[in-house]
Amino acid sequence: MPTEHYRITNTRREFLRDAFCGFGGMAFGAMLAAQEAHAQNPLAPKKPHLPAKAKSVIFLFLSGGPSHMESFDPKPLLNKLHGQKRPASFGEAKYQFVSPTATLLGTKRTFQRYGKNGIEVSDLFPQLAQRIDDIAVIRSVHSDMVVHSAAQYQLFTGRVVPGFPSMGAWAIYGLGNESQSLPAYVVLPDPHGAQEGGMPMYSNGFLPAVYQPTMFRPGNRPVLNLDLPKGVTLDQRRKTLGLLKQLNQMDMQPDDAEFSARLNAYDLAFKMQTEAPAIFDLSNEPQETLDLYGIGKPATDDYGRRCLMARRLVEKGVRFVCPVSGGGTGNLQWDAHSDIEENHTRMAAQSDQPMAALLTDLKRRGLLDSTLVVIGGEFGRSPESEGSKGRDHHNLGYTMLMAGGGVQGGIVHGATDDIGLRAIEKPVHLRDLHATILHQLGLDQELLTYLHLGREERLTETLGTVVTDII
Amino acid sequence: MGIKLLVLGSFLFGWFAVSDTAPLGSYTQRERSHWAFVKRTTPTIPTFTNAADQTWAKTAIDAFILERLQKEGLKPAPPADRVTLARRLYFDLLGLPPSPAEVAAFINDKSSDATSKLVDKLLASPHYGERWGQHWLDVVRFAETDGFEYDTHRPDAWRYRDYVIRSFNADKPYDRFITEQLAGDEMSTNDDELLIAAGFNRLGPLRKNAGNQEVASSRNEVLTEMTNIVGAAFLGVTAGCARCHDHKFDPIRQSDYYRLQAYFAGVYENDVAKSSPAEQAAWKTKAEPLEKEIKELNGKINKITSLEDPEAASQRVALTKKLEALQDQLPAPLPALYSVKNVSEKKSPIHLLTRGEYAHKGARVGMRPLGVLLPDGAGELPETTDKPRTALAQWITDANNPLTARVMANRLWQFHFGRGLVATANDFGRMGARPSHPELLDYLANEFASCGFSIKKMHRLILLSNAYQQSSALPTDEAYQALALKKDPENKFVWRFNRQRLEAEQLRDAMLAVTGKLNPKAGGPSVMIPIDPGLVTLLYKPSQWKPAMDATEYARRSVYLIAKRNLRLPFMEVFDAPDTQASCARRESSTHAPQALELLNGSITNELAEAFAQRLESEAGANLRKQIDLGYRLTTGRAAKPAEMKAALAFLQTQPKREFALTLLNLNSFLYVN
Repeated sequence: MPTEHYRITNTRREFLRDAFCGFGGMAFGAMLAAQEAHAQNPLAPKKPHLPAKAKSVIFLFLSGGPSHMESFDPKPLLNKLHGQKRPASFGEAKYQFVSPTATLLGTKRTFQRYGKNGIEVSDLFPQLAQRIDDIAVIRSVHSDMVVHSAAQYQLFTGRVVPGFPSMGAWAIYGLGNESQSLPAYVVLPDPHGAQEGGMPMYSNGFLPAVYQPTMFRPGNRPVLNLDLPKGVTLDQRRKTLGLLKQLNQMDMQPDDAEFSARLNAYDLAFKMQTEAPAIFDLSNEPQETLDLYGIGKPATDDYGRRCLMARRLVEKGVRFVCPVSGGGTGNLQWDAHSDIEENHTRMAAQSDQPMAALLTDLKRRGLLDSTLVVIGGEFGRSPESEGSKGRDHHNLGYTMLMAGGGVQGGIVHGATDDIGLRAIEKPVHLRDLHATILHQLGLDQELLTYLHLGREERLTETLGTVVTDII
Repeated sequence: MGIKLLVLGSFLFGWFAVSDTAPLGSYTQRERSHWAFVKRTTPTIPTFTNAADQTWAKTAIDAFILERLQKEGLKPAPPADRVTLARRLYFDLLGLPPSPAEVAAFINDKSSDATSKLVDKLLASPHYGERWGQHWLDVVRFAETDGFEYDTHRPDAWRYRDYVIRSFNADKPYDRFITEQLAGDEMSTNDDELLIAAGFNRLGPLRKNAGNQEVASSRNEVLTEMTNIVGAAFLGVTAGCARCHDHKFDPIRQSDYYRLQAYFAGVYENDVAKSSPAEQAAWKTKAEPLEKEIKELNGKINKITSLEDPEAASQRVALTKKLEALQDQLPAPLPALYSVKNVSEKKSPIHLLTRGEYAHKGARVGMRPLGVLLPDGAGELPETTDKPRTALAQWITDANNPLTARVMANRLWQFHFGRGLVATANDFGRMGARPSHPELLDYLANEFASCGFSIKKMHRLILLSNAYQQSSALPTDEAYQALALKKDPENKFVWRFNRQRLEAEQLRDAMLAVTGKLNPKAGGPSVMIPIDPGLVTLLYKPSQWKPAMDATEYARRSVYLIAKRNLRLPFMEVFDAPDTQASCARRESSTHAPQALELLNGSITNELAEAFAQRLESEAGANLRKQIDLGYRLTTGRAAKPAEMKAALAFLQTQPKREFALTLLNLNSFLYVN
């Protein structure tokens, strides 16, 4: 009989058992060493259910909803039909703002073919286009919500309401962390501001607090509470921790698992405090690398730094990293309601080079095979125009990219119809995307569950289908 | 299925079968006989022949516990010492530590009813409601913002929080408490307290969006929130699982779910203004020009898209500052009560919805409680029923409802012991845990129903048992310890008390209390405290975070800090406070490095450590031993042991007192209640 997660545990034996409850596939008594580690650190690495292709995930979240028609899904017919009403044969769509009388909007972008299979990419992404042979272009993604917050929740948590764990939280719940001195799941927010969905989209939901994201702040000291308080020296703090350990040990049984875990949490905290800052410091990177990411150039400096940080983190074993492109009110995201040209030209200028550099850098360091890179937003944009130059949100068919982590490069999967309205060929729902991400991490979507309010919850809710064509 | 309930149900509602709706359904004997759905038994209280057993089994609770322990080859632990018991009771009932004087008073009270007197004293304290109110706020996912993209603040939501605290302090009978929350507006349309209580129906997250509104979809979401919480909070069933399809494990059909939802078909929000028309007009005169200016300014700010261009960036900063100044000038919102009302002409037709999607309507249904607790073929309530939620509350609070009393008795047990007799307090269904002590659970539920649903009487019953007053220490006899740990590692048979880590609010409140900084002011609007600017920028609307002007407010008890869905205080979050998006039956108690970082480097602890160091010096004088001893008594309730004294003295020879004070706030014996 399953019970909800339990942590009133004073003994090591209990603690070991509880540390594993919720893992359908894991038998008690197996992997003693791993269990010992977990008793001491709930984020110690765990074995995946299946052979894993990827160890880490970097999700380059293009928030606000980038247009597929301006990027990776050219639609010549859309240009032909520019200014006309959508032919009835394409069916219906619901938008947040576009009125029923709106007409189709052709794109001003030009497309060229790149890579071994001649995949078309628009002139907004000239650098990413150079990496197309590492990228699987999924042109048939679809989801259920057409407003930001709900769509962002679905993108991250699989549910259209807040309160569920994000894929990052699920990943570290399933696999722990390879690094002892860095957080397991890191979000690098855009300094322009936050998303509509806010913190609940990244959060651990009902999973224990140990699986929460660490939200980085801008600058070289990104983690809250990792800095010593003003006027306190490291040496002084070391002595304080020494006293704390001494006093705690005087008042506990040596085999008290929970108290031991708490002692260990302080050791780990100190380790993070002393080791992590060097990893956060980009200044020891060679100039060539900084240039690769566009660091130092106004447009790309910020996202370049965050993409480089993502590489440094996965290099040290961080499980899930999410550098966010776009934040703050509408037009500071990819949310091009009023002018698709102005918005996407600016947003792509900030992100194209850093994203391409990340793929290049991961590859040359041999990290791309073990790092799954996912690129995309919470939805795409409407074939219809909003106002005269903008595009509205659109969830029936749009594009996302995957690279590395066992994903085939240089391929296109699925298709939308001829105006980019609806995914018609090999549609990939977000839950299929989630199932694929978990699968590449070696996690079985059916085994990665957590009992909450009477349900065995999982990221993919009603189960997704792994997109086997691209792996 | 109790015949009495059936008869009562027929009497109250007069079941009418309504045609052309979904079938009324039938339930198999097997479905009906699940332990939680059958009528409560009147269990026989076990008796003992051995004199020692008779002594230990002084209450019925103890008799049930002891009988089960003996059956498992286990035995109760010795009683906790007085210091431990005092600390346990204070934290349990008030969420605050006892002062050294309060511990001493309890130790020095040699009368045989010293514990009973202490329990009475604590139950009479106004802090009791602040602690136990929080438990209820967890269950009903109380928060003061909408969530979703605007996360709009509900500036009067604190009235419901204060209502809950008042209700616990007044020992409001639980049946009355349920009825007020479900149907306060139906009980009276002009009683503020009842209108506030009915705000319960609006506590869930609320999605609002600009643009083409999908009215039917939003309405469906609102009805879903209102329905699901009834199952989780009052009935301990996961009715929400039956929204999309028949429940996979429990005899709750999809039709049952929507019949429950039908009670809410006509429920709409009702903000009851508590200001005069003149005040409202004055408010409008003052606010409207400011709001217009704010809107224009927002437009300007949003046009600045480049932060790379220093000129644009500085312009943006300047405009944002101006915006904030304008926002500060806005008059405080006029008081209102958040309540609900029945609007019969806007009643939503309730249909079964395929996969829960509002667009996929199936058969239409009317009001009916859960079918598995009714006779087969029981009809729906007439659509014209005058006070639908009152009718639902009557069914829920009927003394013979098999779920309600069991669910609440179990919650009370869980909050005292850290673990319920049913480990899954919101799920008494088949996927939930079975009761560890079914007879004890029925005994407690019977007592609860027969004592007029008095929660304070239940506290007394439980707290004055030997079972509650056991030590949490492991048995000293090593062979027996090994046996007990092997047989029952989770301690579900209660062979000792469960050591518990302080919950987030208890921990922060205790730090404020021991450092002498606690502002005990009760009630009123919630407080925002200053937080790291980096966190504020994680809000979609950073201007929503407005720390209180009066800094003494920052030291209020945690239950008075704002519960904002899209920004939880890091301190609360890291120590497992629930996310307020869904009902939380029981908090996690996790142990991880960010907790250590928060307590070592966080601003809350470090500011308080400074104050604590000063308090030790000012109250204990210059003598270091006395300072150390006072520090231990304040944080752990006991004196420092000689070895501890020695280590602390050595440390203080070279290190500053604030570092010692910080150490005390990090001690396991401070963080845990034995």
